[in-house]
Amino acid sequence: MIVETLIGTHRILQLEPFAEGLSIAVSWPVIGWMVVGLLLGIVLGALPGIGSPVGMAIVLPLTLPLDATSAIILLASIYSGAMFGGSIAAILINAPGTESAAATTLDGYPMAKNGLAKNALAIATTASALNGFLAAIVLVLISPVLIGVVLAFGSPEYFLLAILGISLITIVTQGSIIKGLVAGALGFMISTIGTGILSPTPRFTFGQFGLYDGISFVAALIGMFAFAEMMKLAAQTRIAESDVELTGSIKKGVMTVFKYPKTTIKAGVIGMVIGMIPGSGATTSTFVAYAEEARSSAKDGFFGEGDPRGVIAPEGANNPTVSGSLVPTLSFGIPGSGSTAVLLGGLLMHGLQPGPTLFGDQLHITYALFISLFLGNIVIVLVGLSVIPYASRITELDTDVIIPVVVVLSFIGAYTLNQNWYDVGAVLVLGVLGFYMVRYNYSVIAFVLGIVLGPIAEENFFRSLQISGGSYDIFFDPVNRPLSFALSLATLLILIGPFLKPYLERVVDRA
Amino acid sequence: MSIKNKREQVTAEHVMLVALLALSAVFLIEPIVSDYPDDARVFPQLMASVVLVGSLLLLVRNYLPEPLYTVVGESINITTSDTASEAEEELSEREKEIEAETEPKQTLAREYGYDVNDTVFMMAAATLYFFAGWAAGFLFVTPLFVYGYTTWFRVRPAIGIGLAVLSTVIVYLFIEFLILPLDQGAIFDFSPFLPVAFDPVPFVIGVL
Repeated sequence: MIVETLIGTHRILQLEPFAEGLSIAVSWPVIGWMVVGLLLGIVLGALPGIGSPVGMAIVLPLTLPLDATSAIILLASIYSGAMFGGSIAAILINAPGTESAAATTLDGYPMAKNGLAKNALAIATTASALNGFLAAIVLVLISPVLIGVVLAFGSPEYFLLAILGISLITIVTQGSIIKGLVAGALGFMISTIGTGILSPTPRFTFGQFGLYDGISFVAALIGMFAFAEMMKLAAQTRIAESDVELTGSIKKGVMTVFKYPKTTIKAGVIGMVIGMIPGSGATTSTFVAYAEEARSSAKDGFFGEGDPRGVIAPEGANNPTVSGSLVPTLSFGIPGSGSTAVLLGGLLMHGLQPGPTLFGDQLHITYALFISLFLGNIVIVLVGLSVIPYASRITELDTDVIIPVVVVLSFIGAYTLNQNWYDVGAVLVLGVLGFYMVRYNYSVIAFVLGIVLGPIAEENFFRSLQISGGSYDIFFDPVNRPLSFALSLATLLILIGPFLKPYLERVVDRA
Repeated sequence: MSIKNKREQVTAEHVMLVALLALSAVFLIEPIVSDYPDDARVFPQLMASVVLVGSLLLLVRNYLPEPLYTVVGESINITTSDTASEAEEELSEREKEIEAETEPKQTLAREYGYDVNDTVFMMAAATLYFFAGWAAGFLFVTPLFVYGYTTWFRVRPAIGIGLAVLSTVIVYLFIEFLILPLDQGAIFDFSPFLPVAFDPVPFVIGVL
């Protein structure tokens, strides 16, 4: 019985790559990069208007000299650290450092106003780290299931998955479906600039040698996230300085999280599940977790006036969203949010292909990443609880000081990639485009997904056509390629479903 | 409606959509004109078609019949529940209140009675920085850009100078460690002055 259980565990966890991943995650300098990433993430997250995608986009080209595992762990740690860091500004100055911390302001700031700032910060730290810790364990446990699913995919399925990912993003993010589709297709279109993938034909280069390598997707990520965000930040009026006293009790704050175990666990589950949906990200998960808690505790709750459950719910959901969003990113290359889009860029930049390889030959890297997230949450608790007395100082940094430095780092970082001035120009042009896309509600994530996945999608599209002898039936064949058919059908339903829903409801009502 | 009124209704989104229309037209026509092989032509043309049709529909969405307008213009959101929407609305109201309480930024232009849009200034300064960096090398234009930017937004001069020095040192480190020619411009080459200007830097780095 014991032997059977052990064999089962071995099969489930794939112990060899797990052990290798563990030794990588705790080795030097990998663990050092994890701590650097977390600290950087906490600071960047705490600065209103900066957040994880901006920080990750700037750091991305600087990871070039690092090995792939260190680079990915550094980026993921920035992401995880920023999730907690965002709550500092949300609680102390009512201005969320990251969009995902917006829901925390609803009860976090009133708590601070009521003299419980330290309690609120301690709740945020504990809930975020505790659930992040648990979510990382779940991630390790579900990875064998993912391996099976990932290996079932072939060329047509990967192409259709990219289309499905963009379709999902268009309906998950607010805005019209057509806007999302235009953004995604534009990203695919831009990715075709440069030498062709299957034949060495220069495309849309107009004789400019600098365009033969195409527009670097890293430059596009920097432009879309860092430069566009700085343009937005430049227009913002000065954020008021903290008007709350840093009073309260850290210990009581920590205990509050354990006083509401149901709220904490429920928020974690919501965060992880929503994180797995492409395009949704932590902004959605935190609001849904908050709303669900407000609904279920309506009887005795005083939400909006400083209810601690109003801090536990969003903060308990944010870090599990990081773990959840890694599932579609690592298994299928479909990022769940802006931050995971940059992470995907990091994977590709360092030669790691999402999909079968990351769950096959390179499974140890995947496990090292999961284990780093797990360990990172311990660091978040230690660092988070010890920075609380000094937290307000981070939020006092003036945005006009940050902007020119970010612009310099964005341009230099883009130039570092290929020493190509077109990449620097792309940061500028795509930054302006990104600024207006955000302003008019076009999905930036769909665009970025298109530009990052463009070459993979195009290659799989043509491989599929080669397999079928040029027939498009391969994407809709229910007999020979049921998975392709299911993906095509799912895409169609996702795109037309929301419009058919009212008619279907009417038919059901009549029946 | 007069031409003036119509012109006032043109937003940056219309300009963006027209630009996308033009770009997608180029991606549709260029493969035909330059005779790309099939495997280099089909995918970009397919995507360009989606951009072209989508942009066109968005551009004329106000003139579309009702069922088509619903598809093109209306927002769909499947994940956010009613309660979550209420929470988001509450937050949005709070943000508006905070915005109303905050004062506009002090800039050099506002001190002299001119009102220059902050985003436009940031974009123009960054564009100038890009072209100047390309022409004369990033190392030499970076301190000018950073100091100029902070001066415009009335950041304390000491902080402005500190940031300019810090940014220049960052660029210098890129030159030293990643061997990037950021001290050479495409038009002006000031790199011969570099050893004189940065003589103490390797010493300081060595000491640190």
